[in-house]
Amino acid sequence: MRLRTAVAITGISLLLGSVPLWAHHAFAAEFDVNQPLKLTGTLKKWEMINPHSWFHIDVKGPDGKVSEWMVEGGSPNALLREGVTKETVPIGTVLIIDAYHAKSGENKAVGRDFTLPNGKRLFLGGSAQNIAPEPGK
Amino acid sequence: MIVGTRRNRMNHRVIHALNALVIVGTGAVLLLPNFSVGQTPATATKAAASAPVQAAKPAAPATAAAKPAAIPRTPDGKPDLTGYWTNATYTPLERAANVTKQFFTEQEFETNTRNAAVRDEQQTTPGTTGDVHYDFTQFGLDKSQNTFAHDLRTAMITDPPDGRVPAQTPEAQKRSRDRAAAYKVPGAAYDSVQTISISSRCVIYNPPPGPPMLPQGYNGNYQIIQSPNYVMILFEQIGDIRIIPLDGRSAPPPTVRPWMGFSRGHWDGDTLVVETTNFSDRPEGRPRQLSGISDNFKLIERFKRIDDKTINYEFTVNDPETFVKPWIVNMPFTKINGPIFEPACHEGNYGMLDTMKGAREQDKKK
Repeated sequence: MRLRTAVAITGISLLLGSVPLWAHHAFAAEFDVNQPLKLTGTLKKWEMINPHSWFHIDVKGPDGKVSEWMVEGGSPNALLREGVTKETVPIGTVLIIDAYHAKSGENKAVGRDFTLPNGKRLFLGGSAQNIAPEPGK
Repeated sequence: MIVGTRRNRMNHRVIHALNALVIVGTGAVLLLPNFSVGQTPATATKAAASAPVQAAKPAAPATAAAKPAAIPRTPDGKPDLTGYWTNATYTPLERAANVTKQFFTEQEFETNTRNAAVRDEQQTTPGTTGDVHYDFTQFGLDKSQNTFAHDLRTAMITDPPDGRVPAQTPEAQKRSRDRAAAYKVPGAAYDSVQTISISSRCVIYNPPPGPPMLPQGYNGNYQIIQSPNYVMILFEQIGDIRIIPLDGRSAPPPTVRPWMGFSRGHWDGDTLVVETTNFSDRPEGRPRQLSGISDNFKLIERFKRIDDKTINYEFTVNDPETFVKPWIVNMPFTKINGPIFEPACHEGNYGMLDTMKGAREQDKKK
């Protein structure tokens, strides 16, 4: 679920009383809705830390220069319960990420969608046993 | 290689679980009039699929002579609440306006849950503020991929019978407004550390994990550790902890007002009763419904383990200075697998720094 639904449900919940906070912090304050990005890079490190995990990827620019980007992803707690570890997505895995750039202007983004080169979405939840991305492909 | 589409995978999981529920719940529909607020809930999704006996439990009270399930007990004979639990549920706190009965049928529950799972998967529109976020389902955070309650209630509020929070007195409404004004920090939202929510600052989750312990949007998981003299409840988000003494001690002076108030517990038969006073008057420290509570408010919670996989949790709000009548909430806590990952909220809280840096960049453009 993304925030649209979350907002809708929060709205409902305001009426119902149970107010779910779907995110630990306000992502729209950290990232710029007017700066969407599509990043393609190889996974260098996955920080499975709280309150949200961060993917470090090496992105090659049009000039061939490689720069490191940090991309924010979901909280690791549920994944760990499912058996996902920081090795589940191997270093070197190519990730294509639809993202929004950080307002700070740094090489940081939030990953709204993570996709593999074969077009399949990187689906981590509840499927740890089936995840075996091919590094570098 | 990577699994199929998210939609296919999750629906498969939910459908699989719901099929199990339907099979075992067929007879339970007939038993609905017998369901009290203490009905036996069961676990849906993962647990239901792996242990369908759980879903069969609503059928257990078929006869009045049915014996209560055996429950784990501590060496001193008390019901043992120790373990990992979640209060995740699709049941709303208040009954929806278009629902007039106390309980859904199994079939209605199935339909509602399936629809909720589909809503979980809905995508946001690129270029909208709501789209600036990672996908909950991609990271397994939505309820339908986790253990949630199989609870046929149409509302968590079981009293008053209309399933709604009673009206607040004018005095309480004024208290609520006054507190909000008193604690409002000058400045635009997200412009400074002080204007960012207490959750983002890792102070305490908002709404806090209790008391009362209302369900959270995600990661609504708890670890309970029990000893003869204390019960400790760890909440996964931010790692907030309740430590509840059972030794009959007095409450501190009224000037002492912790974020989660001051809780004391005692056993009433097989039920752990927890009384909490000394609530903070900061509005963000409580669920919205309790923002106007009086200084003398006392919350009563009741924890009763009813079987191996379930604790019935009930709390009563009785504050005549705030509500025109008392109200009672009931919900199941369902057993989950541990452990709980160390929350260590500030460990990777880059978001705070990033938000501040972003705000300063915005300042330069003014």
